Amino acid sequence: MQRIFQIDGEETECWLGHDGSRFVLNTPNGTVACQLDPTGLPGGYTLRAKGVVRELRLAVGPEATFVHMNGRTYEVGRVDPAERLAGSDGGTSDDRLVAPMPGVVVSVAVKPGDTVEEGQPLLVIESMKLETTLTAPRDGVVAEMPFAEGDSFGLKDILAQLAPEEK
Amino acid sequence: MTISKLLVANRGEIAARVLRTAKARGLATAVLSHVAEQEGPAHLIADEIVMIEGPTPVAAYLDIPQIVEAAKKIGADAVHPGYGFLSENAAFVAALEEAGVTFVGPTSETIDLMGDKVRARAFVEEHGFPVAPSAIEDDDPASFVERARAVGYPLLIKPSAGGGGKGMRVVREDSTLETEIATARREGQRYFGDGRLFVECYIERPRHIEVQVMGDGQGNVVHFWERECSIQRRFQKIIEETPSPALTPEQRDEICETAAGIARAVKYRGAGTVEFIYAQDGAFYFLEMNTRLQVEHPVTELVTGFDLVAEQLRIAAGEGLSATQANIPQTGHSIELRICAEDATADFRPSIGDLLLLDEPSGPGVRVDSGILDGGKVTTDFDPMLSKLIVHGRDRVEAIARARQAVQNYVVLGVTTNTGYLDAILAHPDFASGDVSTGFLAEQSETLTAPGEDISDLLMAAAALSDERLVSDVMQIPEMHRKMGGWRN
Repeated sequence: MQRIFQIDGEETECWLGHDGSRFVLNTPNGTVACQLDPTGLPGGYTLRAKGVVRELRLAVGPEATFVHMNGRTYEVGRVDPAERLAGSDGGTSDDRLVAPMPGVVVSVAVKPGDTVEEGQPLLVIESMKLETTLTAPRDGVVAEMPFAEGDSFGLKDILAQLAPEEK
Repeated sequence: MTISKLLVANRGEIAARVLRTAKARGLATAVLSHVAEQEGPAHLIADEIVMIEGPTPVAAYLDIPQIVEAAKKIGADAVHPGYGFLSENAAFVAALEEAGVTFVGPTSETIDLMGDKVRARAFVEEHGFPVAPSAIEDDDPASFVERARAVGYPLLIKPSAGGGGKGMRVVREDSTLETEIATARREGQRYFGDGRLFVECYIERPRHIEVQVMGDGQGNVVHFWERECSIQRRFQKIIEETPSPALTPEQRDEICETAAGIARAVKYRGAGTVEFIYAQDGAFYFLEMNTRLQVEHPVTELVTGFDLVAEQLRIAAGEGLSATQANIPQTGHSIELRICAEDATADFRPSIGDLLLLDEPSGPGVRVDSGILDGGKVTTDFDPMLSKLIVHGRDRVEAIARARQAVQNYVVLGVTTNTGYLDAILAHPDFASGDVSTGFLAEQSETLTAPGEDISDLLMAAAALSDERLVSDVMQIPEMHRKMGGWRN
């Protein structure tokens, strides 16, 4: 059974199996026999893998698993490869500017149809009481500017969309 | 006057902290809450919760008529403002006075004076205390740019009505001076409704050192020693400590006496903090006075043994100061870490989400002032600070060791927090030696956010084995196929 795990922006495809006595995680780096047993603390487990034993605290969120281990907290994104294939929409990430956090639009410098160059300011936003100028990720033509001056936007809203690049 | 019922006009960790002391002093207590707000520790402590309304939760906490009305309605004879929100709003103080409710804090005149950076600075200078070379727009707007130039580079532009680093711009070259002035003016206008500016000579590698003062309103003022707050990101403090590792005993007395002198000059009432810029050569200049309890006040409490909120309540009730200068000790060392829901590796982007698991550290010399509860939610409605971890040790080395152990054991799962980043700061050799400035975090950002040891295989194993659907799918496959680990369809 496959999963794609995302740690610090890096994706790793893994395969979990069971050899009759224990679980085996196949990663691109090799095969890891592993075992996870609850400790009694809320979210507490003992992990045995790669010859080490670690106490950890863990919580499973809808899209990511949070792990507290070795005095640090890690976020492991989980993707089911089957769902990713089904959800693919064709657009590429450098076509759009996605809001890194919620905020308000201070000013808009371009309109749909404008030709822009990479690095050209598209709009100014204010989030967490700081102004940030967002610039074109590449040369292209503006397809959509969904927000006007003074509008509020949420996390991951699309703030600017470029027309798809002609191949 | 006596105080028998206290309304805390705030939320989060500071509301809980103030309520604890008020209850310990036998007061009836109440706290504000907005319908969109998560249940927090303050709700569990207060005898009464007063719901307030507004288009946003923040707007509700800034609504003076509504809050004054709430205080009257529940029969509160005093209001504690906490920090932020209306804590430094002279109109709020005046409105409470008119309603016959005691404000736990200074007079509206003091707040007015210290809230206007330009007037405050002039006041401090007139009384013979040190201020940095500057140019003030209001003195003669027409020549402002020329006078700013004369201060020399680098310089710092600040909004006259500002605070907390908002709208501040550092200018290093003459070519950018005028555009930066325009930006600062816009920001000042938007945050404070006031576009007036002033510029100040920018001290290279400065430290931020502040002094806790307390006055009875009659001219009697004591100080509770200094706090070093140089560890800042985007002009916001995230680690504070006392004593400052930079000061000699003589310098410490000098800066603390200067702060007390400034507070004495305004016949200060209640708790306040005088902030200074401290240059590498030991010179220091008045920066501003905060006329409220500070976020970082607990470090002062741990080295002096005083409960500063209890002192505030005493003064508000007309009982005066409980201490004379000679019996305010500075014992051991204390460090505060601000636990924030933010991603230090992504420019401190705030993180939101459900608190899936919360387990806060405890132990000797460890205090947690928390604003969150297990099972709660972190939203964008408020500041990203979740709680404060404060430790005390016999000396700085012990305090750092305790802080590291406690922050490593601070379990917050479900949102990204800065605990790992805070630990990396504490582990940095320059922090250990005390050789830091307010630019430290920016200068060391790569070191401080460098990835640690690669344990991704362990993390993936933990994530895989705790994924119930994955495990159940695996166990449903016939045994023969399960064994074929790398088999793909």
